[in-house]
Amino acid sequence: MDELHYVGKDRPRPDAADKVSGRAHYIHDLVRPGMLWGKIKFSEHASARIVHVDTSRAARLPGVRAVITGYDTPEVRIGFLRDNFALKRDRVRQFRDEVAAVAATDPDTAAEAIELIRVEYEPLPGVFSPEDALAPGAPLVHERDADGRPLTSNLLSLTVSHRSGDLAAGERASRYIVEGEFSTPLIQQACMGTAGCIAEMDARGNLTMWAKTQIPFLAQRDFIRTLEAMGLPGRNARVIVPTLGGAFGTGLDTHAYEYIAVLLAHRTGRPVKILYDRREEFANLSPRQSARTRIVQGCDAEGRITFRRLQVVQDNGAYTSWGATYPTVMLMPATSLYKVQNVEFDAKIVYTNNTYAQAMRGYGNPEVTWPIECTLDQLAEQAGIDPLELRLRNKNEPGERTPMGLQVTTCGLGECLEFAKTKLGWASKRGKQRGLRRGVGVASLVHVGGSGRIYRSDGGGIILKLDDFGNVNVSYGGVEMGQGLHAALTASIAEALGVVPEKVAINPTDTATCPWDVGTHASRGAFIACNAAIRACAKARRKIFSLSAEVFAAEVTRNLKGILKKNPGYTPPAYDVGAGCRPENFELAAGVLWLKDAPDEPWLKLELGRVLRALHFRGVAGQMVVEEAFYEPPSELPDWSKGVGNMSASYAYGVQGFEVEVDEDTGDVRILHAVAAHDVGRVLNQQTLRGQVQGGLAQGIGYALYEEVKTKDGRVLNPTFTDYKIPTVHEMAFPVDMCFVETNDPAGPFGAKGVGEPGLVPTAPALASAIWDAVGVRINDLPITPEKIVRALREKKAKE
Amino acid sequence: MSFEYLRPRTLSEAWDLASARPGARFIAGGTDVMVRLREGKVRAPALISLRAIRELAQIEIGPPLLLGSGVSVSELQANPHLARQLPVLVEATRTLGSVQIRNAATIGGNLCNASPCADLAPPLLVHEARVHLASADGVRELRLEDFFVGPRTSVLRPGEVLHAIVVDTPSTGRAIFLKKGRVQMDIALGSVAVLLETQGRTCVRARVAAGSLAPMPVRLRDVEKVLEGAELDDRTIATARQAIERDVRPISDVRASADYRRHLAGALLERAVRTLMNGGRR
Ligand SMILES: Cc1cc2nc3c(=O)[nH]c(=O)nc-3n(C[C@H](O)[C@H](O)[C@H](O)COP(=O)(O)OP(=O)(O)OC[C@H]3O[C@@H](n4cnc5c(N)ncnc54)[C@H](O)[C@@H]3O)c2cc1C
Repeated sequence: MDELHYVGKDRPRPDAADKVSGRAHYIHDLVRPGMLWGKIKFSEHASARIVHVDTSRAARLPGVRAVITGYDTPEVRIGFLRDNFALKRDRVRQFRDEVAAVAATDPDTAAEAIELIRVEYEPLPGVFSPEDALAPGAPLVHERDADGRPLTSNLLSLTVSHRSGDLAAGERASRYIVEGEFSTPLIQQACMGTAGCIAEMDARGNLTMWAKTQIPFLAQRDFIRTLEAMGLPGRNARVIVPTLGGAFGTGLDTHAYEYIAVLLAHRTGRPVKILYDRREEFANLSPRQSARTRIVQGCDAEGRITFRRLQVVQDNGAYTSWGATYPTVMLMPATSLYKVQNVEFDAKIVYTNNTYAQAMRGYGNPEVTWPIECTLDQLAEQAGIDPLELRLRNKNEPGERTPMGLQVTTCGLGECLEFAKTKLGWASKRGKQRGLRRGVGVASLVHVGGSGRIYRSDGGGIILKLDDFGNVNVSYGGVEMGQGLHAALTASIAEALGVVPEKVAINPTDTATCPWDVGTHASRGAFIACNAAIRACAKARRKIFSLSAEVFAAEVTRNLKGILKKNPGYTPPAYDVGAGCRPENFELAAGVLWLKDAPDEPWLKLELGRVLRALHFRGVAGQMVVEEAFYEPPSELPDWSKGVGNMSASYAYGVQGFEVEVDEDTGDVRILHAVAAHDVGRVLNQQTLRGQVQGGLAQGIGYALYEEVKTKDGRVLNPTFTDYKIPTVHEMAFPVDMCFVETNDPAGPFGAKGVGEPGLVPTAPALASAIWDAVGVRINDLPITPEKIVRALREKKAKE
Repeated sequence: MSFEYLRPRTLSEAWDLASARPGARFIAGGTDVMVRLREGKVRAPALISLRAIRELAQIEIGPPLLLGSGVSVSELQANPHLARQLPVLVEATRTLGSVQIRNAATIGGNLCNASPCADLAPPLLVHEARVHLASADGVRELRLEDFFVGPRTSVLRPGEVLHAIVVDTPSTGRAIFLKKGRVQMDIALGSVAVLLETQGRTCVRARVAAGSLAPMPVRLRDVEKVLEGAELDDRTIATARQAIERDVRPISDVRASADYRRHLAGALLERAVRTLMNGGRR
């Protein structure tokens, strides 16, 4: 790529000023005329039969406009397997099941009305772990599937398996074998902005939803189906996405609260807003899936990985979200993190009466990278090979086709490992600081860098509308949720079109104005959006250049006249403007159109707005410059029965490393230094990228050391930030060395790969390795709390 | 959630308002009572703010040192006299909540809450602070130690106001407060305050108190007994650790197990004693 002007530069994000000055409008700020407030009555049991719902007192409360239950509203089926309902009838399967809802003129009245609803239950036995749920004779969470077929077990039909190579041969070739069981907990996405929506219906039954979603177009489809179920076929659902205060996967599904808002809006004929408070968010919004993995991994005497077997069990909770497809992503590290030929992978997901889980950043990847990297560390220990050296020996390389069929086009894993090695002072520190209770550790990651195909289209469309003033109005169907999509898109459009970034304005995401996009997940936002943008920009440039041949000469002649008027003595150079106005002779840069063979003549340059006005105001010949493009990445929808397929157009690699100090008495882990090296293909926007990596690191540290949604018999025990701890600025007060390896991937926009998720993938195993180095204990179950460290140290001492 | 909000300017006005409204609650900074109201853990038809009562907001350097119950945690933190006379209390303010919480929270609210994890209690306990409780019937003075009776319960009678906290001329000993949370800004999983007077390596006076390690903030006399009169060597410290592990009565909850808290008590105690012996903190 020759000289870039905006891509890769350290520019502030376009949304930053509004966000820090309170001008951005989140769902919390939005009000519609005549709007009512909805509130949900949640179940008081994890598993029970609903005997009776008495809403009469709530309905009589002044200010209440509607009280609805599953018994007096159309049945609205929701969820990835359509095993869930907006409002429950007859049976509750988890604590947060929606039993009734109200709409009232203000939030306090709605809350009071909810308290007046009386529900009589007949408690039923529940199952609260996958083991219990799979035990013979365990009570069934669902007796039937969505099609009415009887179910005989709590095991979901969504099993994912993979076999490649020859596992037995791999075992035979192994000098060292490590096995173990590892777990990752339920954690909360902990978005700064809690969940909420506004549903509004017009008199014809069309719905407008202001939704906190990452999938506006799949949501549109879901809501249209709902309107059909409500007896409103042929109506439209328009989805508008307000500024989002974080999503992290919570917006990958549509949620019962959204459908309830629709039902209430339909019942009352008024816009209805439902907004979760923090306690509701913790107790009633699906957290990240928990996973338990049995792993066996081996290596030969030189430390080359010989085989790997993983058996994963996930707790689905009572209903099924897209998050149930984590194994499709788990396969990637299982088969393709480091070179490994012989792989066996099996994943099961099981219904329980726990809160049902959903997607979160990384989507299955950290769950499996955790056991892989932890056992690799142990293999290194057994083989007497430095763990970083062992990783280097097994590193992935460009041109490799992995057992899953992933085509590795570019790969900067080696550079990332080398960077971590240098910055951590690895050679002088690893294994050498036990006396100080200090240690260093690293871990790597692979993730989809060119979107991840899990749906029949993995594409996204974009519209560029250029106006009379040279503004570029952009409509893209993906979602800015805080990750910096708009910063990347602005830089890419300015670069690819030849305008200044200040002229690029990105419209709110709205299904009515934006082309289709599958959703903002799989680190695909910037990759797809910028690829689509580059194509639309090329079309716009072609159009501007071909049409300008007709208007340019007339406009510059006026320029010349103006110059001559001011300076009659001026002699213009001999240049045949008519002949110069050939489409291929035009160049557009920084919003100025000029001729390649006369680059130095000021009067031969036109500001883009002026050109566009000239094209517009030409009587019947007038034209607008509005261009669209749809980008579908060159990837395959994997065959999930075999667990094979090149699901992404490129793959992102990275390494994180830490130096920690462990207090052996209290078990406290203090991070002294962090290194984050990522193969990003190409930096699109420096600030945004650093923010993504820093944020991923914080989230990864939370996952590693502090966070866990604790439940007892299906009830969330810590539904507040008082008892759900995420890292704050105090926990992040250590230097971070970042390195962005630019491998310039052929599929990437300007060579870029997705980087949204990688930041939290290797954090926990890197920290675990550093903790081992410092005090010699390994914890297999996240989070690594001081309490677990103290216990492990005590056990270690007892053994010695 | 609706309630009457009242803002008397004098104590007698406050008592009148309180006696006319059964179930009314006092509110100072509100950082505790508002949270509990919202969560439905307490109900109150009326909140009587103590913020406008001037006399509650005073600090008298004394001796004795007198801290009005309405002094905010931020004010304690910033007061230069306190930094000299009661540094261990100032130390405890630093990890109490966040800047925003400290600006609103008061010392009186912290104690009247009677939470086992009140951070300001252990430092005051090792300084053998006393409290002045005022009602329409007059003022009574108690040892702070006798003020707490259980989790979230104190000896305060309905309508009675914690007027001030009194500390005699600060001791010549040196004191330290150590707290451990899950992250830095957190309620204590355990906290320990230790005050020691030493002659050479011999401890002549020891005061030890703890937070979050019993149903209320407590003095730990068995530990004090081990330390007082003893040479502060490894053996004494080990014995003191055993004593504190016996003496505390922690619970298991969503934050930590009783077992870990017990261990933590020992770890914090050892660190506190060693830091003081090595000349740290005052
Ligand atoms: C985010 C957050 C973090 C926190 N972190 C900590 C922490 O780290 N450590 C810690 O110890 N606490 C912490 N707290 C709890 C709380 O902030 C403190 O206990 C604070 O000192 C309470 O003071 P207040 O003035 O806000 O009390 P209020 O909420 O106003 O009152 C608390 C109770 O005391 C009563 N009361 C108040 N003043 C008087 C008086 N003069 N006479 C009689 N009764 C009175 C009230 O009726 C009420 O029952 C935290 C709270 C929050 C919300």
